[in-house]
Amino acid sequence: MLSKLFESLYNKVIVSIVLNRKSCSVYIEICSKSTVVDSQTKTFETATINQEIIEFVSSYTKESPYSYYSVLDTSVDQGAIPACKKSELSYYKNLDSYEYKCFDEKWVCYTLKNDLYEMKQQYKDFGVDFIFSPISIIYNFFEDKVKSHFALYVLVQDNFVSLSVFENSALMFAQHLDMKTSSDEELSASVIEVNSDLEESIGIDLDDVDVIEEMEDMEDLDDFGDIEDLDSLEEIDEFSESQDIEEEFFEIDEPIVESDDDSVNEDYQRFTLIQKSLGDYYNDKHYSSNFIETIYIADGVGVSSDLKKYLEEEMFLNVYIRRLDIPMEICSLAKGELGL
Amino acid sequence: MKYSYITPRDKSALTQEVQLLLSFFTITILMLFLTYTFLLYKNYSFKHEKQEILIKKEKLKKSFLVMEEEIVYIEKQKLLSENIYTKNIVLKDSISNLFDLIPSRITLTQAKLLKNGLILYGITPNKDIYNFMLQAPLRSIFHKTYSSFYPAQKGWYRFVSTNYINEEKEEKIDE
Repeated sequence: MLSKLFESLYNKVIVSIVLNRKSCSVYIEICSKSTVVDSQTKTFETATINQEIIEFVSSYTKESPYSYYSVLDTSVDQGAIPACKKSELSYYKNLDSYEYKCFDEKWVCYTLKNDLYEMKQQYKDFGVDFIFSPISIIYNFFEDKVKSHFALYVLVQDNFVSLSVFENSALMFAQHLDMKTSSDEELSASVIEVNSDLEESIGIDLDDVDVIEEMEDMEDLDDFGDIEDLDSLEEIDEFSESQDIEEEFFEIDEPIVESDDDSVNEDYQRFTLIQKSLGDYYNDKHYSSNFIETIYIADGVGVSSDLKKYLEEEMFLNVYIRRLDIPMEICSLAKGELGL
Repeated sequence: MKYSYITPRDKSALTQEVQLLLSFFTITILMLFLTYTFLLYKNYSFKHEKQEILIKKEKLKKSFLVMEEEIVYIEKQKLLSENIYTKNIVLKDSISNLFDLIPSRITLTQAKLLKNGLILYGITPNKDIYNFMLQAPLRSIFHKTYSSFYPAQKGWYRFVSTNYINEEKEEKIDE
């Protein structure tokens, strides 16, 4: 009772910290009940928590004892599984050494317990109150879409790409991929492959679609000239044209980022990862591999138009990109946790 | 919906500074309260003591009055005893003197000591012995002396000597 009274007297300070490869983004929001009193965002040119960040954050958090620190789970070994019961989880992955959280009793997000501990150690100067999975950010960010749109949802971060397939709010498939750990050789091999025979790569994707019906005959159906596949592709294209207009407008309103060599390279890496992940989705017998025709991208870094072009031209996907401020989104999740 | 893997740490408005401040105020209030309680107790104690002292005072006053009365009574007794003692001494001296006065040839049979007089009964061989040897000293002591003789056996006389002191004169002498 007394603590509630004190809590109502103080403002709540929510600090969101996202560590990237070369920078650290900090977003601070000061809330009085559900009203935002002040907000501040700052990017530091450092990949670790240094004194400058500590001082910046402390200048806000010292005002209130009710300060909450939220971070994004950036560990490599994490993901999500389309099951919630313990008996079903083992079918997908052994989660003994993982911390996991169930959503809607339909799917779970998991991460390695050791990684959680390491993250707590990494932020020991502040202490951590909330750790969010990128998949849960996707779910929250595309909440309006996941309820009705069966699509691939992607969160693009500085050095990670998180993918998930949702259908009627239920997760079908998810992967969290690290751009750093993806070997350069593999990537360059992919580049050569795609550039040398673009049509062939498209053919492979279309074959993957066919897997839905006959997984075992996948090799036999690896034929670009299959008329049935082309017919089905046309139908899908027609269907994709009937996407809601709102999304199209949204897409048009998105600012087009000027592409330079670095961003093109990174975007191609991302494209490759998405392509690989989709291949995993279609090929992995653990998941029901329905054909994906739409991809929603939550852009947390400012991808160039090339990524969209790659996805549209090479994978025939309807691509919708939404700009996402990851620290701000984490903050909104933290506010949700606090009931603000 | 809860998305976080971990639950937030417990937050408390009681930061170290607030705790220090609260401790300070708590100690101060506690000290004030204790002082107040102590003063209340002392006040009660003083009142109680005052009441007891007042009762004691009343008792002492009463006792003092009783003692004064006793002192007066004792002083009176003392005066009386001194008076009696003096009178006894005087009487003793008087009797001693009386017996000294009696010559060996006269025998007293009875002596009555009165407040302001002396009555002697006795036997004398003759009137002259009595008149010269007893009456003369008696007359020097008493203001009035009366003697009566009655013949006894072998020519002796029984006598009754009544002697009085004039009180008014005596008082004047005392003064």
